[in-house]
Amino acid sequence: MREVTLLEAIRTAMWEEMERDPNVFLIGEDIGRLGGAFGVTHGFLERFGPDRVVDAPISETAIIGVAVGAAAMGKRPIAEMQFMDFISCGFDQVVNVAATYRYRSGGTVSLPLVIRGPSGGYVGGSLYHSQQFEAWFFHVPGLKVVQPAFPDDAYGLMKAAIRDNNPVLFFEHKFLYRRIKGHIPQPGEDFIVPLGEARIRREGTHLSIITYGAMVHFALEAAQQLETEGISAEVVDLRTIKPLDMETIFHSVRKTSKVLIVYEAPLTGGVGAEIAARLAEHLFEWLDAPIMRVAAKDSFVPFAEPLEKFVLPSVDDILMAARQLAHY
Amino acid sequence: MSTRVKNRMTDEEKVARYRDRLTKEDLVEIYRRMWFARVFDETLYDLKKKGRLRRGNVYGSRGQEAIQVGTSYPLRPTDFVSPIHRDMPIFVFKGMTTRQVMCQVWGKANAPSRGKDSWSHMGDLKLGIIHSTSMLGSTIPVACGVAWALRLDGKTDSVIMTYLGEGATATGAFHEGMNYAAVHKLPIILIVENNQYAYSTPIELEVPTPRVADRALGYGIPGYTVDGNDVLEVYDATCAAIEHARAGRGPSIVECVTYRLQGHADHDETRARQYRPVEEIEMWEKRDPLPRFREYLLSTGLFTEEELPTPPPDVVAEIQDAVEYAIRSPDPEPHTALEDIYDEGAGVSR
Ligand SMILES: Cc1ncc(C[n+]2csc(CCOP(=O)(O)OP(=O)(O)O)c2C)c(N)n1
Repeated sequence: MREVTLLEAIRTAMWEEMERDPNVFLIGEDIGRLGGAFGVTHGFLERFGPDRVVDAPISETAIIGVAVGAAAMGKRPIAEMQFMDFISCGFDQVVNVAATYRYRSGGTVSLPLVIRGPSGGYVGGSLYHSQQFEAWFFHVPGLKVVQPAFPDDAYGLMKAAIRDNNPVLFFEHKFLYRRIKGHIPQPGEDFIVPLGEARIRREGTHLSIITYGAMVHFALEAAQQLETEGISAEVVDLRTIKPLDMETIFHSVRKTSKVLIVYEAPLTGGVGAEIAARLAEHLFEWLDAPIMRVAAKDSFVPFAEPLEKFVLPSVDDILMAARQLAHY
Repeated sequence: MSTRVKNRMTDEEKVARYRDRLTKEDLVEIYRRMWFARVFDETLYDLKKKGRLRRGNVYGSRGQEAIQVGTSYPLRPTDFVSPIHRDMPIFVFKGMTTRQVMCQVWGKANAPSRGKDSWSHMGDLKLGIIHSTSMLGSTIPVACGVAWALRLDGKTDSVIMTYLGEGATATGAFHEGMNYAAVHKLPIILIVENNQYAYSTPIELEVPTPRVADRALGYGIPGYTVDGNDVLEVYDATCAAIEHARAGRGPSIVECVTYRLQGHADHDETRARQYRPVEEIEMWEKRDPLPRFREYLLSTGLFTEEELPTPPPDVVAEIQDAVEYAIRSPDPEPHTALEDIYDEGAGVSR
């Protein structure tokens, strides 16, 4: 086992996949000479050369479009958005071109591409360097959406994403990049975390906290506190947001009968809304309390610290909701 | 290393010497403004290092002051600008107070964006400053819309100056905006601050033509390339583009060739000396636009050494005052994070 940060886990997975498969290549802004704004691709240019580590112009449409064309031809591109926020500048390529490709080819073309980059708040990044856009893509058929919370998952999921034959959006939470450390397997073990499988990060009996990304760590912190209050919270880390692992979610909820869904994006229309709807449809009779959600307030992520704190969900928000549920 | 630096106008691009109409007072003010930009930057770098700046990156403009001053100096109050991340001083040149700008930097309640957004994303349409976003190039189409509104209002003598790095000319928004402006002969002046690197990416990986201004050919509009470290050359070309725009003849591109003397932002100081040759940085240090302009002014015989202090003390005092003002200004109330998402006024035409 190797102890690494979340960032290093992602970096290592990409490196090993590039060593393993010559079809894998990287494209993005400042990923070569600089090694990426956050250093995720540090050293790749020197090892793999400029045709496999492309320092692209500031052209998100072209970056994603090139990835699409190359993927259709059988390559396995990984396109970096310097910040996930900038994916909006290449939105057409993601939603209209990449997502639909296989469908409109009558099932004849595979599109094994990954679009990855840092997302999320809590770093004072203001409106355009803080967003969690997963719900936009969650809505689109043909895409897969991933957000790891721990290094081992990041490592295994990145490998799975690269090997997957479909467009995968890989959200890397920049608040976790260097804060979260963990162990990943030795090279050669060929460790994979299959897409579409959630993981119980903490067992509990009174309520299920269903979450992903940075919120997993908030939920775990809350669960620890709740335990001292006699409340046993189970924490389900979705890991893959699309497709949703409803089986694991249902299993947990059948056990606890109370549900708190936590996500960092604005409340309205978020991933949690879909989970709540499915629970209401399928497990209505198992529920002992209304389904609750903790999410960002329906605003942008503002610049000033008191404003950012007000908008984004906190451990306290989770604690309050969990207590309410437990005592329902 | 970028080898394709051309910083001289070709003969057919030679523009009139608009500089000849500048008075001694103008020259002093231009000198003062260049120092304002320099001290503004140095102050924020310093405060960031000392941990007194709470949030945001300092995108320094050291070495690019001649562009910020030379392009904005000929503007009228009725003209518009849309500056980019590196252009904080232009907000002041276009009429914001230094105190307002510093409050924006500190995310205070009395800042133009009330703490909502960071640094250069502020604006004030009454002052002729268009608000921008982080998405490079995205403000060019917006500038076209501002021009369109002015046209609808019959205000045909205002021009709109939009700023951009050479890297951002690779965006789709840049192309769509410039194409629209050219098709409709909008009074847009696109200032390209060609500092030769977009973050770490050298110009030859962003722009395929020998000059960024060559992009103008595709739109059938004038494109000038000037020495961006010579404030008067920048001024001349800008004035030519402004005259063209005010005459209703449409947009121009003014490429100002310069060099980013610092890192992309304050966090990039070490790496910026690794992905760029140190000799290149040192060569451009020698072309620093501030001493260059000062030497020129002294050579005219119109100024004494004492008339050209380095830096002018009033500039330092003004910036110092603004920093202190910002620091003691109130933070926004948390709940205001949910204000200003919608206009809650009655939804009828004014
Ligand atoms: C659409 C978009 N993509 C990526 C970025 C990230 N980014 C911020 S500044 C920058 C480099 C800009 O270079 P240039 O336009 O030449 O201006 P300079 O910073 O050199 O002044 C990049 C890539 C962004 N802000 N917007």
